[in-house]
Amino acid sequence: MSARDDDVYIVGAARTAFGRYDGEDNELAEQAVRAALDDAGIIWSDVQFAVGGTNGETKPDNLVSRLGLTGLPFVTVKNGCATGGVALMTARNGLIADAADIACVVGYDNHARGAFNASPTRYGIGDWFGQTGMMVTTSYFALKIQRYLHDHGIDPRTLGYASEKAFAYASHHPYAWRRTPVSVDEAMDADMINDPLTRFMFCSPDAGAVSLVLARGRRAFDMCDRPVRLASVALRGRRPGSFEVFSTWLSPGERTSPSIDAARAAFAAAGITPADVQVAQLQDTESGAEIIHLAETGLVEHGAQTAAYENGDFSITGRLPVNTDGGLLANGEPVGASGLRQVHEVVRQLQGRADGQQVPGAPSIGFTHVYGAPGISACTVLMAEGE
Amino acid sequence: MTVQVVDETLFHSLDPVLLRGSACASCGAHVFPAMGSCPMCTGTDVADVALPAEGRVWSWTTQHFEPKPPFRTDSFAPFSIGYVDLGPVIVEGWLVGRTQWTIGEPVRLVLAHAWTEGDASIHTFAFESAGAAR
Repeated sequence: MSARDDDVYIVGAARTAFGRYDGEDNELAEQAVRAALDDAGIIWSDVQFAVGGTNGETKPDNLVSRLGLTGLPFVTVKNGCATGGVALMTARNGLIADAADIACVVGYDNHARGAFNASPTRYGIGDWFGQTGMMVTTSYFALKIQRYLHDHGIDPRTLGYASEKAFAYASHHPYAWRRTPVSVDEAMDADMINDPLTRFMFCSPDAGAVSLVLARGRRAFDMCDRPVRLASVALRGRRPGSFEVFSTWLSPGERTSPSIDAARAAFAAAGITPADVQVAQLQDTESGAEIIHLAETGLVEHGAQTAAYENGDFSITGRLPVNTDGGLLANGEPVGASGLRQVHEVVRQLQGRADGQQVPGAPSIGFTHVYGAPGISACTVLMAEGE
Repeated sequence: MTVQVVDETLFHSLDPVLLRGSACASCGAHVFPAMGSCPMCTGTDVADVALPAEGRVWSWTTQHFEPKPPFRTDSFAPFSIGYVDLGPVIVEGWLVGRTQWTIGEPVRLVLAHAWTEGDASIHTFAFESAGAAR
């Protein structure tokens, strides 16, 4: 294997446990960065370019006050649920554009309990939208999956299958937050939050941090026995016809999605098709999102999800293990960390050192997908490569 | 008690109650509330229009927990919201009268009490059942 100068590899990966955290946001982020540096066998002064993402109020670039004032360029990103994917893309682009060798990416958040409480004004909507109780993320997800189930004739029980799978994976994962198995019946019969979604079908905002070390070209093979190539990363925004959170109106006609566009772009850039993927991470903010995103990314046909879950396709020994760390449903969503958690999990699966259940058969091609407000998606294709 | 609406700019008229959207002269797209430009084709030749007052439930959910502020209510009870297909545009709003709905059933625009503020009853737009599903 001869690495090209503009190939970018992940050579170090670390995460904290996700859940509630009483300390400072920056302290959490620092833990992840130091662990990722250790994993890559380097120290902070080796890092030439850094990117940090959070959806909170702290400043990622001020992490240098804890890690060391080395003078490196440190870019901050804040792109909602897609923050992790954008941070990774920014670091990759930085390595290529600046011909730097080593970059560090960190994503973190430490959210208050309960559903996110977005401000109508920040989204350019009148106060009436919040005053009348429509500025609620959970109702958006419910409205979207309600229509999707209708359009594709999908049994609502499929929502329970997604929940059961997530918590089953999490019960084996040391860093997941909610690790108690939940049966399909328990998921279906739990308190209704927003029809058709129950309490066990939503992720909750929580705390966590993830960090990755990237290296460019041959340097990656000097640093790591089993570097994982970032074969592609693609970011896309919404086009007319997409159905996004806090939409006062929708256009009739064909539905589009930034997830469809980002996934297509990522597969094309990597030179593979969805059928080549052996382990995947999808944005499962709630169970319905996983069902929709399985199809929007091209991994499963629209309407074929129910049979695939029933066939065990997405379990650890199935055709395509999905969200093998329990996904957002079991890890919660520290927004800035969530996309990097996905990459972390796939990297470790491809390196054969999964923290939880290891996908058998030495998978070599992985895929990650984040999606978030106000209608953006970032996807990556990751490939295991030996020297 | 006087009746006021949450935001007068949402309405073309109050009697009869009609929502005020805008239509793009270039591509024909309708949006709600009215905007000064078209997000579909980026055109700026747009004009305010009264939207149809009848449509069909395009999707629905029932809000079972009380939203955080700025949500206003006199006393919380679960309520339904939905997207209603009005033809040229699909509009999000309250579905009033019950908490279980069927996609495709006909509904019509009404005003509904949202919360009390001093002597005023603040109303918002909503959709109520207009008969059985197709």
